[in-house]
Amino acid sequence: MEASKRQDLLTLMADKMNRAVRLYLENCSRCGTCIDACHAYASTRDIRFSAVGRAQNVRRLFENYFRVTGKIAPWLNDAETLDEAWMDKLYETAFSCTGCRRCMVYCPFGIDTQQIQAIAKALLIGMDMDPKPLTMRARGEIDKAKNLELTRQKLEKELTGVKAELLEKYPSLEGKEIVPLDKEGANILFVSMVEKPSIASGAAILNAAGESWSLSYFEAVNFGAFAGNANMSEQIYGRIVAEAERLRVKELVICECGTAYRIMKHIIGKRSFRVISILELVNRYLTEGRIKLDKSSIEGTVTYHDPCQIARNSGVYEAPRNVIRAFTDSFVEMIPNRSENWCCGGGGGLVIAQEPEFRMMTSRVKADQIRAAGADILATACEMCLAQLKDLNDEFELETDVKLVSDLVYEALVFS
Amino acid sequence: MVNAFWYFVMVPMVYISVIWCLVGIVVRIAQVVREPRPPHTLRIFRDDETPEDPLGAGLGAAFLDALTMPSIRRYQPVFWVFLMIFHVSLLVLVVAHLDILPQINILSAESQHMLGNGSVGVFFTVSLAYFLLRRFKGPVREVSVASDYLLLVLLLSIAITGDVISWGNSWTEQGFVITKQEFGQYMTGLLTLSFADPLKLLPGTHYVVIGTHVLLVNLLLIFLPFSNLMHTCFSVPLNALRRG
Repeated sequence: MEASKRQDLLTLMADKMNRAVRLYLENCSRCGTCIDACHAYASTRDIRFSAVGRAQNVRRLFENYFRVTGKIAPWLNDAETLDEAWMDKLYETAFSCTGCRRCMVYCPFGIDTQQIQAIAKALLIGMDMDPKPLTMRARGEIDKAKNLELTRQKLEKELTGVKAELLEKYPSLEGKEIVPLDKEGANILFVSMVEKPSIASGAAILNAAGESWSLSYFEAVNFGAFAGNANMSEQIYGRIVAEAERLRVKELVICECGTAYRIMKHIIGKRSFRVISILELVNRYLTEGRIKLDKSSIEGTVTYHDPCQIARNSGVYEAPRNVIRAFTDSFVEMIPNRSENWCCGGGGGLVIAQEPEFRMMTSRVKADQIRAAGADILATACEMCLAQLKDLNDEFELETDVKLVSDLVYEALVFS
Repeated sequence: MVNAFWYFVMVPMVYISVIWCLVGIVVRIAQVVREPRPPHTLRIFRDDETPEDPLGAGLGAAFLDALTMPSIRRYQPVFWVFLMIFHVSLLVLVVAHLDILPQINILSAESQHMLGNGSVGVFFTVSLAYFLLRRFKGPVREVSVASDYLLLVLLLSIAITGDVISWGNSWTEQGFVITKQEFGQYMTGLLTLSFADPLKLLPGTHYVVIGTHVLLVNLLLIFLPFSNLMHTCFSVPLNALRRG
């Protein structure tokens, strides 16, 4: 690697530094408590796929270029030189980890591997080694905001199918604005996946509750965040923030997308609107009696997979469970659950960035957990989890029906 | 020449190491503080928390986390037992060393023993031996680096020489070779910058063991600001980040 290139990358690394990151890089005792926390390690017993194993790839560079000990006695903490071979190690750090932060629950210091992983991702972008399927999708998301008229035309085409489906299911919606767009002063801006299933279930719930709402032009998912590109991520969530502020909505409701929810809830900072997830909204409607669910419409036992970004990283634990209990009496908990739930193995964009073989190999422990729950239906609240869990269901022949909670609500919705 | 060496270790080097350590710690803390704050929360939500109703945030809870290490207690209970033994005995040893000073009398001034009668040092040594052995097996071995072993060997050597001073010193036919009061005079000399020769205060063959103990502690103090022992300063802010 050329010296100037290395210097550029080290500047990128320095740019990622803040108080937390420095503490995370300098304070690991390598006690190994985090090792068993990672689903990838638990499934493979390969130390490269443990939190500390991944973090060490970044920490060894930090030792070489940012610490005195690395210059005086590089052998002391295994200081490493940044070169092409080490970039491959960084790729491993960045894209063998889902950023689920389960290791943070185990670590006595609470070291956030996702923050260390972000350094690896930044360096990969600097070397043009970022996974192109993620970056291309992120670019596509940004382009949507640049050509709003084209975006609207495409969305309206999608909405034709949604409206037809809802009218067929709920004829009483005839003559009403089933999926409003650009509704200024609405209570709610609903951010879907801009695909028929996601819009349809959300629209059905919002209409059933008689809500004043508007559908966002943009999809919730943030591929910039998955790629580790802070600039792209900001542009992507910025589209939605701008739309919500333009329409002066009171609440921004995020569909079942873990990363989108965490970004909007905890990362964008204080805004004029409140951010909640669709399941928190459904839970509220149920509590207020604004919607009703028919328990006879869902057959079999149901278990729930806590998506990492919604649960341990955002605190949404009870709302999905309350919603599930509203449409079934046969709810069984997966063990472990809540903050200790195993990651599905597809988060952090790995569903797109990684080969299915890798995702299956590193998620055996998740498959075992699902099998042990023995439920007929496996419900979750994140599209990425859904995709990964469906793959696991097929690969490990788990014989369960994998669904989003909102889809089950849609099935059980009593429309008056 | 030999006496000059031990004098250097027992007096000037103690000052050098302490000053080095304190300055090093301040520099390390400054390095962290001068970095920008993280742009958003890095909190982990516990099972009884909600996005709108966070519980247990703040430094108090983080301090308790740092002190009691609940995650290790839950996931590695055997390791936790040894960690607690280590940290509690370390705390008692610090107090016991302070008690050597004539001005502090947790034990009576006439007591020949240090606080704990030498038993605390044994607990300290056993826990360190466990930590070291743990690094030679399983996945922990795969992630350990040279400094991890070096630090534990250094701490263990300090502990063993301390045990020898505590136990060997008293297991003679004549009873104690060097008394607590004599150690007190040496430490008072250090505190009052008298630069007196400790050899005159601490007589007998045990002087070499005491010198070695002090030398190793000096080395530890020099190494400390560069080591992961800095978690002593940083585990509370780290846990505060997780608590949000």
